[in-house]
Amino acid sequence: MLIQIDRRQFLRRAAGLTALTATVPSFLDKTASAFTHKVKPIPGLNDDRVLVVVQLAGGNDGLNTLVPHGDDAYYKARPKLAINAKKVLKIDEYLGFHPELVELKALLDDGSLALVQNVGYPNPDRSHFRSSEIWETATSSDKTETSGWVGRYFDSECSAVRSSVLGLQLGERPAQTFASAQPRSVTLANPAILDWPTDGVAGSGLEGINRVEPTGIEALDFIQRSANETLALAKRLKEVTRNAKAPVAYAPFEFSQSLKLVAEMIVAEFPTRVYYVSLTGFDTHAAQVNRHAALLQELSQGLAAFHRDLKLRGHLDRTLVMTFSEFGRRVSENKSAGTDHGTANVMFLTGGGIIPGLHGERPDLKSTDESGDLVFKTDFRSVYSAILGGWFGANADNVLAGHFAPAPVLRTPKPTA
Amino acid sequence: MKRRRDEIPAWDAKAAAHLLSRAGFGGTPEEVGELAALSLDEAVDRLLDESAKAPAPAQPDWVKDPWVNTERRFADTPREVAAEAHRTTRRRYGAELNELRSWWLGYMITTSHPLREVLTLFWHGHFATATSKVNISQAIYQQNATLRRNALGNFRTLLRDVAVDPAMMMYLDLEGSDKAKANENFARELYELFTLGIGHYTENDIKATARALTGWTLDAPRGMAKTRSSAPDTPRDFARDGLVPTFIPERHDAEVKTIFGETGRFELDDVVAIVSRQPATARFLVGKLIDFFGTVDPQGELRERMALTFQATRGEIREVLRVLFTAPEFYSDASRGSQIKSPIRLLVGACRQLKLDVRATPSLAQLTASMGQDLFNPPNVKGWPGGKTWIGAGTLAVRYHLADALLEGKEPTGLEPLGSNRFLAFPRDATQGSAMVARIESSRAERRAERQKEGLKCRFKVDALYPQGAPADPAALVDDLLRRLVVTTVRPSARETLITACVDTTPADRPALVARLILTSPEYQLA
Repeated sequence: MLIQIDRRQFLRRAAGLTALTATVPSFLDKTASAFTHKVKPIPGLNDDRVLVVVQLAGGNDGLNTLVPHGDDAYYKARPKLAINAKKVLKIDEYLGFHPELVELKALLDDGSLALVQNVGYPNPDRSHFRSSEIWETATSSDKTETSGWVGRYFDSECSAVRSSVLGLQLGERPAQTFASAQPRSVTLANPAILDWPTDGVAGSGLEGINRVEPTGIEALDFIQRSANETLALAKRLKEVTRNAKAPVAYAPFEFSQSLKLVAEMIVAEFPTRVYYVSLTGFDTHAAQVNRHAALLQELSQGLAAFHRDLKLRGHLDRTLVMTFSEFGRRVSENKSAGTDHGTANVMFLTGGGIIPGLHGERPDLKSTDESGDLVFKTDFRSVYSAILGGWFGANADNVLAGHFAPAPVLRTPKPTA
Repeated sequence: MKRRRDEIPAWDAKAAAHLLSRAGFGGTPEEVGELAALSLDEAVDRLLDESAKAPAPAQPDWVKDPWVNTERRFADTPREVAAEAHRTTRRRYGAELNELRSWWLGYMITTSHPLREVLTLFWHGHFATATSKVNISQAIYQQNATLRRNALGNFRTLLRDVAVDPAMMMYLDLEGSDKAKANENFARELYELFTLGIGHYTENDIKATARALTGWTLDAPRGMAKTRSSAPDTPRDFARDGLVPTFIPERHDAEVKTIFGETGRFELDDVVAIVSRQPATARFLVGKLIDFFGTVDPQGELRERMALTFQATRGEIREVLRVLFTAPEFYSDASRGSQIKSPIRLLVGACRQLKLDVRATPSLAQLTASMGQDLFNPPNVKGWPGGKTWIGAGTLAVRYHLADALLEGKEPTGLEPLGSNRFLAFPRDATQGSAMVARIESSRAERRAERQKEGLKCRFKVDALYPQGAPADPAALVDDLLRRLVVTTVRPSARETLITACVDTTPADRPALVARLILTSPEYQLA
């Protein structure tokens, strides 16, 4: 009920702004039609759904994340790095969490977390650069594609959506996931960059010189529109950060703080469909024990705080979180108490509509490939397919340029086309 | 081969300003005046000839000949020694790459041959390699020198040099590609992105080409004593003895190959020759140049003429550019003032046109990176897509801060991430958390201080721009600065805003204020 009132208030606020300004900042023009598809609305699907993509950059050691404590092969392959079975947060007699994933374990116990095991793709590439590209563009490893899977979704399914921040990434380097023919995503290292003087001669000058006056010169008019959107976004973000009142505490680190900001934007009903945040540093070639523990602690506490925040403020149902990493790590530890680049890995999903628990076939540590790496069982594109089709009601085959049977990770039935 | 004589473009100060805004980083009134006093052909000859003849800039002092691998690992290198060498080497590479970025920016700002730098930047985007994969500072410097040396030269020579350029060999895995397993990465991009474009080659051409290019690696200069051997499976970064492209016949696949219907025992030079003569190569490359220089070529006639010149001259880049810069299409209304400036163009142009007092520092290079153009680090193999992709809320925001950054040396806030990294897992006992947070925050502050220790060294000085004093009348001042800085149509409302702002400001502060506002205007984003 509370949320309903908030949303109406928001719409009124937006409408008020619309009336006052000469040109409508298009992304603020969030009318009922703002999030509809160009073809037809899909019955039973909310149109305000949000996806949060969490990138674990560097290649997360999946075997020390979701630990096969019931498998002797694991302990044989990792005499130094294996997590002591007594310390594993057990899920069943075979699998359990890394001891720092306390909060994720609680989410699982609570029926709020899904894990997809052994996710990868055929002919895996072990270069960070190339494998990230494969995950972000959702193509097979023998093809090069520059557009991202979410970017293609925006291009093909969201052309009628009036928002210039369909994708919003908190980070420094634009994620290829959003790359598209018609860029409608924003990458910000820090929203503080959108803070500039709005009063005085400098403030009124900036506003004045960016007041829209169409010229017929395409590039000039494009920049005027973008400027208008940027100035409006700046105002909106300022409002969001000023009114921020997360009911839970987030850790003072980049990943947690990014999630905190994303939560504020979701609560403020930003016209953003996909958010993208990164947790970096998973390339643990040497002395990985402490480093990996710290990263997993940050992941666990960050995701749990975010989950609780959205739940308390009534926006969890419309939010889906998905983690990915460009690859897992080799089954056997290396000589430097670390692990080298591997292949298949575990993905986490939390938020609205997930089917909690373990999904996919668990990895077989005894029948590895010629490099000693896991042989994947679930193609990552089948997880994307589930999200595109089941969460967004998009034509997943079209976006992924091929058919991937949706992984059964979401409660939402696949909409009929 | 030249332009159609019936359509000689009108050559005046505006045309000269347009040429300098594309073939350079934007001209000053003095530069525009000098060029406009010549004929079009003379002006273009001068730009091309001077740029082709200009001496190379002095190299950064950390560049070594021969390069020495300071993280080299041998079979008997103790683990701790190897780890320490790796750490210090990578830290040094990072610092040198920061320096290299500001070194190039600084050179772009001060050089009297901006066209050569514009083209070096074009080739950098065309033959993209990125520090996200190749972070050996000297390899990146060497590539920059290779691109500059050939920027206005012959395309075949350029292609041959780039193919065995260390940074490229590492980026697209030609290094170590051998007959047992030919790596196809370079061969594929060679055809798709560097020469022919999609649709002009087959998978078999790629496979055969990859075989023809096997046998190349990077090694110590010939004659240098070989160092001791490495442990098996040592990664290349720790096993390389040098950065000299070296052909090892035993690793080369010397069998017969068929490429584009030609058959022979092809090697690198044959591949370069074969692909350079394909008509598709000429058309693909001139198309990229037309786009890069923002020319509207509605009928495709310019492209045809440039492609013919490319073929007739066997890939003389200077001659192809001569056709472009004297073409009616280049000077058409549609081509003028309609190209979105890249971040480099924007920043370097502002420094040059406002005659700013600048010393290029890593913080200056950070600004172009934050606007989406991190030198030596394009987003992927395709380089920077340019055009509208330069403009987004995040990057426009930095463009708005650019004025303060350049005119007053003020570093924008918000270029830093939202928080630091959690380096250590916290004890689950809450009482110990805050001390750890404090430690992490202070080490973050230290690193930031290190990166920004030089800060931004740029200032606007009215006297540099107006030695005789700035125009006193607000409208005259605004019009003069607009004429200096803007090549596109100025909206009446923009001019009014500037005049109003001027009137509301004390005369001494007016030039800086107007310059600042123009830098944030939509008009200034266009070249």
